[in-house]
Amino acid sequence: MAKDKTFTVGHTVKRIDAVGKVTGEAVYPGDVSMEGQLWMKLRFSDRVHARVVAIDTTQAAALPGVVAVFTAKDVPNNEYGLTMLDQPVLCGPGSNSIIPGADVVRCYMDCVAVVVAETEAAAAEAVQLVDVTYEDLPAVFDAEAAMAEGAPRLHADHPNNVLCHYRIRKGDLAAGWTQADVVVEGEYYTGYQEHAYLQPEAGIGYIDDAGRVTVIVAGQWVHEDQEQIYHALGLPADQVRVIYPAIGGAFGGREDMSVQIVLALAAWKLRRPVKIQWSREESILYHHKRHPVRIRAKWGATRDGRVVAAEAIVIGDAGAYNYTTNKVMGNANLMATGPYEIPNIHVDTYGVYTNNIPCGAFRGFGGPQGAFAAEGQMNKLAEALGIDPVEIRMRNALQEGSLLSVGTPLPPGVSIPQVIEACARESFWKKGDIGWSRPQHPQPDNPALRRGVGFAAAFKNVGFSFGAPEQSWATVELYGQTEIEEVVVRHAGAEVGQGTHTVMIQMAAEAAGVPFAKVRLIGQDTAETLNSGSVSASRMTFMAGNAIKGAAEQALEKWRNEERPAVATYQYRPPATTPYDPETGKSEPNFAYGYVAEAVEVEVDIETGHIRLARVICADDVGQAVNPQLVQGQIEGAVVQAQGYAIMENLISQEGRILNPYLSTYLIPTILDVPDEVKSVILEYADPIGPWGARGMGEMPFLPLSPAIVAAVHDATGIWMDFIPLTPERVVAALREHGLGVI
Amino acid sequence: MKLWHHYHTPSSIDEALALLDHYGGQARVIAGGTDLLVDLRAEEGEPFPALVDITAIPELTIIETRNNQIIIGAGVTHNQIVRSPLLAANATCLVESCGVVGGPQVRNVGTLGGNVAHALPAGDGTTSLVALDAEAEIILNGERRWVPILEMYQGPGQSLINSTHDLLLRFRFAPSGKGEATAFKRIMRPQGVALPILGCAVWLRLDGATIVESRVCIAPAGPTPLRVGEVEAFLNGQPASERTIHQTAELGQKVLHPRTSKYRATADYRREMIGVLLRRTLTLAVQRAQTGAAVPEGVGM
Repeated sequence: MAKDKTFTVGHTVKRIDAVGKVTGEAVYPGDVSMEGQLWMKLRFSDRVHARVVAIDTTQAAALPGVVAVFTAKDVPNNEYGLTMLDQPVLCGPGSNSIIPGADVVRCYMDCVAVVVAETEAAAAEAVQLVDVTYEDLPAVFDAEAAMAEGAPRLHADHPNNVLCHYRIRKGDLAAGWTQADVVVEGEYYTGYQEHAYLQPEAGIGYIDDAGRVTVIVAGQWVHEDQEQIYHALGLPADQVRVIYPAIGGAFGGREDMSVQIVLALAAWKLRRPVKIQWSREESILYHHKRHPVRIRAKWGATRDGRVVAAEAIVIGDAGAYNYTTNKVMGNANLMATGPYEIPNIHVDTYGVYTNNIPCGAFRGFGGPQGAFAAEGQMNKLAEALGIDPVEIRMRNALQEGSLLSVGTPLPPGVSIPQVIEACARESFWKKGDIGWSRPQHPQPDNPALRRGVGFAAAFKNVGFSFGAPEQSWATVELYGQTEIEEVVVRHAGAEVGQGTHTVMIQMAAEAAGVPFAKVRLIGQDTAETLNSGSVSASRMTFMAGNAIKGAAEQALEKWRNEERPAVATYQYRPPATTPYDPETGKSEPNFAYGYVAEAVEVEVDIETGHIRLARVICADDVGQAVNPQLVQGQIEGAVVQAQGYAIMENLISQEGRILNPYLSTYLIPTILDVPDEVKSVILEYADPIGPWGARGMGEMPFLPLSPAIVAAVHDATGIWMDFIPLTPERVVAALREHGLGVI
Repeated sequence: MKLWHHYHTPSSIDEALALLDHYGGQARVIAGGTDLLVDLRAEEGEPFPALVDITAIPELTIIETRNNQIIIGAGVTHNQIVRSPLLAANATCLVESCGVVGGPQVRNVGTLGGNVAHALPAGDGTTSLVALDAEAEIILNGERRWVPILEMYQGPGQSLINSTHDLLLRFRFAPSGKGEATAFKRIMRPQGVALPILGCAVWLRLDGATIVESRVCIAPAGPTPLRVGEVEAFLNGQPASERTIHQTAELGQKVLHPRTSKYRATADYRREMIGVLLRRTLTLAVQRAQTGAAVPEGVGM
């Protein structure tokens, strides 16, 4: 069979969506309009914690142009949630809901009414006329205060507001402390982060030609959106359809529902197209955030730099509902002790309900918070022992066959030592007779500017963890007579901007042995595809690749048996994982990992507290770069997003209300902020079960950046700043405390 | 989203005035619109009946020297100021402040006149105009006259002129004389397009090694831009030394009382930065006055 190598796995192919996105022709959810469409506006909660006693819609409904006002009692099954059904679709009295207290608002992003009108302006005016009577309830805004006895309780079935608690008990911790020559302790704090994707939430609901309630929207998993909708509406699955057009970024922020259910509800009730478009302000106010986390950690090591004991308490603010907190904190629990083999470990991790904005999935999924503490501890141990930070990592890094904190070995293909070495070699370090070391860094002439270098490493799971069902379907159809003229791939995986559709086509071309141009993808529509699982957990290349590979192999078999067209549908299931043991945490958490290390150079203005990220060297074991340029794009994108997280992005929440829901006051990096250089060191140590050896990699470059920056700031100033974001104010306060930068 | 119904581009001052008159308070002057259009959009009200764009009036787009005064039209864009050799030599601080406003697109469109008419307490261009002791030519209630720049500011966002009725035409100030120099610096969050946390512009004249006259503007330090009289009084007559600059920085921290803005900076941080900024800006201005060199710093592309 003819094979055009330039268009298959391992080569940089131009993205199939590049031209449309550059020219503006790509259709995003907000671009879709239909004849006779109505407009929707949502009335969000006016109170942070209150019982909704009554909702009077008379005035709103009477406004000219208003078609309908929906409240809780209009929702057939008034509950939703990605991993727990704990949030009412609409909060209010008299609804059919499994939630005890579906009439209670628990945060400002709860929704109490939906107004549908002939124009957007009428809907906007009417939504303010909905008269809601509240009875305030006591509220709590701090995770640790929420855990205390007597704190206001958000959910009847969660005493002390503890949503989840994971324990890890490995080895004999007391013995570990006895062996330790040096012990370091730290308290780490990481802040909120807003996804700030380019495209705010939008969508349109309508009844399609087959009579199905259909929603065109941006999400990360069409079949999950479909399930959430049909559950709430009490419809059979095949009566609900979800279609994704072009999606303007996701980063985890579109994993949970925003406009999906209410659009479907209105279209189903009214039998007319209904459209909604959120403003940037609404987007920031009404979708979840990255968890703020506090970690107290204590690690001990022997004089020769072997970590022998590690203890950590990890507390994450879940906000008012679960979203994916139970999963995110599970990940943080695993990653809080880093990619190191440590014989004696105690970790306790809590996800805690508060009346703050709910937190959920965001690139890294608990990993960045865990890594922030783990790498901070490792860097402090290095300092305390007088051992180079690269050298100490090499002495502790996980190896093939090493036991994780949860008492089981990692899946084969462990490459963290090679990744650390590659990053060190490509950045500021040299390996000599006595191990790794780094020459003194040159300093600028201006005494107000101090330069420093920092290092950190991390590992990131690929795929769903801890026993969550994991699978992905693909269909491959081969058309032609004597030779394959066209390959049609059906796969539901969402193209959120990362390039996955291009990568899927590359993998299908490789599997079917045809040029890239002969492959066509039909994707992200529940009516056309089978369940792919979500675009999250760095899983899509891995899962879609194996599914497409399996389907293509079977289709080729049929092709050889003269079937025309040759069609095969295949479900890929990776090796099973297992949940945490409630007492010891023993588990087989994941079936694959990616490994990453970063070295950074910063320049600190010790007078103003400004930190300039000058250089980043990021080494990633991606197994096989299916499309090297897209891999580089993911590395650079993750680094810049993590730079915002570490230095700039300061979401201010006061008693549950976000005070800066604007990009003029919530600052994300611009082209003027990005580092002078981001050097991507792409390593390819094949994953034994990855498609063509590929591992997932979309998240991992995010993880080590903030601890590497903190280490570099320490190198520059001698001060450990164990909190992010490192805003100038906070940096100046820390510097002045140590007498630095005083006029 | 429709922001206006009619957009006019008059080619003379008289024509602009006639248009404003015609709409009887229902038309607004636009001079770049990089703030105005954002505000109109945020207001989400009815579209504005008419906008009168003054940037095509030739008289308002010039940069020149006339009668030993530097003249800048109100419709001159930030980037035109940044690229002017005349202003680099005679108003270095103004070039520096206009060079850090927004991003390249904003500087290509936004004007100095718009910056002043918007009357924000910390407009970068304004801070430098105050240090330059500039005057603004306006047509107020039909009367054409020059007013000191500080008089343009009646309160935060509140201008002397009513932009549905009056016009801001030009700015003027004295060219740089012997021993004179200016500098502008600002503290901002680490990105290019945010509003400043604090800006500072300095004008001074040296006689030998002595500072004989100075003007210092720090913003925001009050509801309108202001000159720091105590600092100026202290500086005048002092040797142009590191010690003087150090004392000035301390004095500035003592006499100014910046406030906390929830999203940008606390009063404590601003007070700390007043010292840093005064020292950095004064050091640069003194250097320039001593050497006669005037190369703008930190100006964006």
